[in-house]
Parts: sequence; structure tokens; C-alpha cells
Amino acid sequence: MTGYFVRRFLLIIPTFIGITLLVFAITRVVPGGPIERMMTQIQLGGETGSLHRSQGGGTLSDEQMEELKRYYGFDKPMLSSYAIWLKKVLQFDLGHSTRYQDPVWEIIKERFPISIFYGLSTLVLTYAVCIPLGLAKGMYHGSTLDSWSSAVVFLGYALPSYVIGIALISLFAGYWDMFPLGGFVSDNYEEFSAWGKAKDIFSHAVLPLIAYLAGSFAVTTLMMKNSLMDNLSADYMRTAAAKGLSRSESVRKHALRNSLIPVATSFGSNISLLLGGSFLIETIFNIDGIGLLGYEAIIERDYPIVMGILVISSLLYLLGNILSDICVALVDPRIRFGGGRGA
Amino acid sequence: MSLLSIQNLSVSILGDDGIARELVSSISFDIAAGETLGLVGESGCGKSLTAMSILDLLPKPQASRSNGKVLFKGEDIGSTNQTRLRQIRGKNIAVIFQDPMTALNPVQSVAQQIGEVLRIHFPEQSRQQHGQRILELLREVGIPAPEARLSAYPHQLSGGMRQRVMIAMALACEPDLLIADEPTTALDVTIQSQIVRLLKGLQAKNGMAMLFITHDLALVSQVSDHIAVMYAGKIAEYGKARDVFATPHHPYTQSLLAALPGIHHQAKSPLLALEGQVPAIENMPSGCRFANRCRYVAELCHNKTPLAEHISETNTVACHRWKEIRS
Repeated sequence: MTGYFVRRFLLIIPTFIGITLLVFAITRVVPGGPIERMMTQIQLGGETGSLHRSQGGGTLSDEQMEELKRYYGFDKPMLSSYAIWLKKVLQFDLGHSTRYQDPVWEIIKERFPISIFYGLSTLVLTYAVCIPLGLAKGMYHGSTLDSWSSAVVFLGYALPSYVIGIALISLFAGYWDMFPLGGFVSDNYEEFSAWGKAKDIFSHAVLPLIAYLAGSFAVTTLMMKNSLMDNLSADYMRTAAAKGLSRSESVRKHALRNSLIPVATSFGSNISLLLGGSFLIETIFNIDGIGLLGYEAIIERDYPIVMGILVISSLLYLLGNILSDICVALVDPRIRFGGGRGA
Repeated sequence: MSLLSIQNLSVSILGDDGIARELVSSISFDIAAGETLGLVGESGCGKSLTAMSILDLLPKPQASRSNGKVLFKGEDIGSTNQTRLRQIRGKNIAVIFQDPMTALNPVQSVAQQIGEVLRIHFPEQSRQQHGQRILELLREVGIPAPEARLSAYPHQLSGGMRQRVMIAMALACEPDLLIADEPTTALDVTIQSQIVRLLKGLQAKNGMAMLFITHDLALVSQVSDHIAVMYAGKIAEYGKARDVFATPHHPYTQSLLAALPGIHHQAKSPLLALEGQVPAIENMPSGCRFANRCRYVAELCHNKTPLAEHISETNTVACHRWKEIRS
């Protein structure tokens, strides 16, 4: 089995190269790169008079163009500039943002705490709600609780998160003024006591978290419920009763653990949620997270940032998948990878 | 006093339309300590429901005991509380199920699953004592290299081995009564005879009684002291195994035995089969449930339910015309 996971880890390398090469190639072929952007900016800036016009309607001389291309690495063929980029990445250098001129890593790092705060809260709250709710629904299938929670969960699943976000803002921040309109913390955050800071973060987080979570309950809750119901009706539950276990004991010791297997295995792939963050929700609530950064970077053709976010999120995703497999192997003795023995 | 006494037991099934219908209808039988009762009948006749209702293991709410008493050593366990019932389950009365593939928890090891019974009923014993006992049990049920099997999971064992694990689990507390619900149906023939031999051997050694449920007539004749033949939720004939096989009195038993191909059966000659079908539960006849397939059917059979009549001191038959048929 160790061999299997070593192979899986080694496979990250070609997969990673594939993902980044593809996106790198796209950034090369789509029109409107950073140089074009800069040129339009200069054109619109009104300072064009001092520069003598070059051919092709541009405002820069050919030498200046060449210099810019060299500066951004556009002067070399795609593959060799990809190789240069990859080499830098391996030295933990993600380059500089074409928009802010700051190192990409610094820009992303700034947003980390915000994104991790929301990602982690979403992850923890999803499991904290879905597992007990799914269990209760499975145990009392067809009850009022079951029907009503299904209605609520599916409503949240059906409504797009930005609709929920806007509705929440208009109601609780506009109409009733219970929560702040947006942002991660208040402007005068630094003046608060520790307790005040915590309260401030919390009050800013309530609405966006609800918007994030509303759609995420349905899948895991229903997975938990169905899995528990499958196990409750399994033959070995009758065996457990015939041994002399009470209903609650047999549920806890047999059905519960077995029904957690599919939920546990989805945990690994949810790790990538940690840095996800929807740019829609971040835009609505004016949160400076990775989602918004990535969106703006694409719109502004800030390719180093696009590639930087891609590097981090694809690595997380690939590691999450392996983590999923490790989870499966840990909780289910029937699963043995690579050995060829067992079922 | 008999060890287990079932009196007028009825089990009802809840249909999709919400109506509860009696599938097993007021049946009675006794099992004496140390003896084996074979409960025979075709699929769907209510054998397993009868057996499961003894320990209240019916799949609820679809099936439930609607009437009757279950007396175990004189104690009415049919109406006792759940706490008492749990003490009896696994300790005094143990069960082996039909399909060892699904009756074992797939993610727990053999030692865990057998150990659980011991933990429930002998919590005062130490882990070491339990470990010793598990090994001893595995050895008793003929599992080779039991030390190596302790940490095995069900999927790593063959069907026969799994059934042996089930048996070890059932025997862990040395029960007075073992309910074996078609323990060999899911196994192939050679393993079947091994398991039956094992059960007989263990029964003789531990002196336990057994309720052996099967649809295999040949098997039941090997195993049982007494036989109860069930048809459509009622006991058609009950008696000493030898008597029932030698001189069946109920027309159903007669047809069953006639349908059994003997070793001298001519190759390619047609097999005898019973005409017709078991009445559906929605329209059970008010009279004898076998009437529509019976060669000896008379007017009376359609109108009146036959009650069990004594043929001899021990044997009974539920047929209006058994005396006429015999002659």
C-alpha cells in the first residue's frame, strides 16, 4: 500500500505540469495581455504627447515594446518561458504582479487569513451540521423533522449563493441593520479589545458564512442520511440485536461507524475548499479574499497572480485527492490499494 | 416442562396499502431441552418470521407479532421488557442467520465481533479471558489456524468460514437454545454437510436445543428429533421426525415427500410436482389454506379451518380428512 501512495505522490508531478502548462498556454494566446493593457493605460492617461508615435498606432517605440516583452518574458517561445516560470516556482518564486508590482506570494499571503477563516469555518460548520442532521434524519426517516429539514436544505441548495447573499444583506444589514454591510473587519478594528475584535470578526462573518453554507448542506446531509439508512437495514444490525445489544448501542457501534465511511472519504477533496472562496460572495460582501483576487487578476490579465493561485489551489486539490484515498483505506478494511489482495 | 413453548403465535405483515395481514397464523409447538425441532416449509411460508418472532427480531414496522405467547423456561419472553429480552438474546437463545456474507459486520474483525457477545454478557471477565475464549471458540468450530484469523475481516474468509464464525459467535455464551435460520442455504453442498455435522456435534457436546429452519427435507431428516411442516403460515403436521417421514398424514407432507427424487429415481423420468400455487396473502382462504391444491379436498375444507388433531401422543396433523386419507 505504501508503494501505491508513493506512486500517487509521484503522479502529482506530471499532473501539476499538465495543469499549469495548459493555463500558461491559454494566457499566451488570449488577447489583451499585460502589455496591451499598459499601452491602453498610457493612451488614456493623456501623457502620450511626449512620446513619439510608433507604427501600428501604438504609443511606444519598438525598442520599448521589446523591452516590455523581455520584462514580462514574452520575448521567448512559450515552452522555454514556461520552463523559466516553472524553474522559478520550484525556487518558491511566483514572480511579480503586473498590476501591483509586488511579489505574487506577498499578495496571496495577505489574503490567506481571510480565505482560510471562511474556508475553515465553512468546512467545520458543514460537517458539524450535516453529520448530526443526516443521522437524525436517517434515524427518524419520514418524521416532521426529516421533511422540514429536507425542505430547508434543498431550498438552500437550489438558490444561487449570490441571491442568498444579496437577500441577506438587504434584510439584515439594510432593513434591520443587525449586521455590517460588508468587509472582513470594521475600519476602527485596531482600537478594539481582544473580545471586541472577536465580536467584530464574528458579526462581519455571519452573513457571508450563511451565504457560503446555504448550498453546501444538501449533499453531505443527504449522503449521511442515505448511508445511515442503508446500514440500519443491513443484516448485521439484526445480528447485533441478536447478540443482545440495545438499539442505540447497535446503531452507535455498528451502523454509525459504517455509515461515516462515505462521508469521511469525501473529506479529503473538501480540503481544497479551504482556499476556495466564491468571488461572487466576496464581491457582494466586499471581502478581500483569494476568490476576489483571482477574479480580478483574470479580468486585469494579471497572469503571474492567476498562475500563482493556480499553483496553490491545484496542489491543494491533488493532495486532497490523495488524502481522500488515505481516509478510505484507514476507515474501511475492505479497501487495500495496489496490493491485489482483499476485495 | 419444555424449554421453549410457542402458543398460538401469529405474525402480521403490514402491506403497502397499510393493512396488516396475518401471515403466520396461530401456530404452536414445543422444544424440549437438548432436542432439535426441524421447521420445514417452502419459501415464504413463514418459517423465518416464526423464528425471528421468538426473540422479537422481526423487521419492524413491516412485521410484528400480533398474537400468542412465547414461553422460555416458563417465562413469558414475548411480553417481557426489552432489558430482560436483551439479557436472553445471545446468552440463553442465540441465532445463526441464513447469509453469513451479510450477517457479519464488514468492517469489524472476527475477534471484535465474537468478543462483543462476551463483553455484553460477561462484562466482569477480563480482556484476556475473552481473548482465550474467542480462540477456544474458533478452534471448536473448526477454523484452521485460529490465531491468524482473529484479526481477519469477513471479506477475507470464505462463505463456510464466515458461517463458522457466526456459529462461534452464537455459541460464545453456551446458549440453551440455538435458532438456526437456514444456516446452510447460502453455502454449497459440501460445506453444507460440514456445517450440519459441526452443529450436531456441538449440540451433543453442549446439550443445547436447536430450532432448525430449512426447506431441505433431506437435511431436516438428518438433523431433527421432531419436525413441524409449515404451509402458508400454519403448521400442517407435527411429530417425531421418523414418524413424519415414514407415514406422513397431511396431504401436503405426502406431496412434499413424493416430490423428493430418490436415489433410485429413474433418470429423465418426470419429477412429481405439486400442482397450483400457495394462496397470496391478500386472499387467504377462510378454510384450509391447502384446499386449492389438495387431492382430497372436500366441501368442509373450504369452509372450516382444520385444527391440529392428535394422531398419536406426540404427533398432530391439521387436516379434516386425515383419517379417511390414511385408509
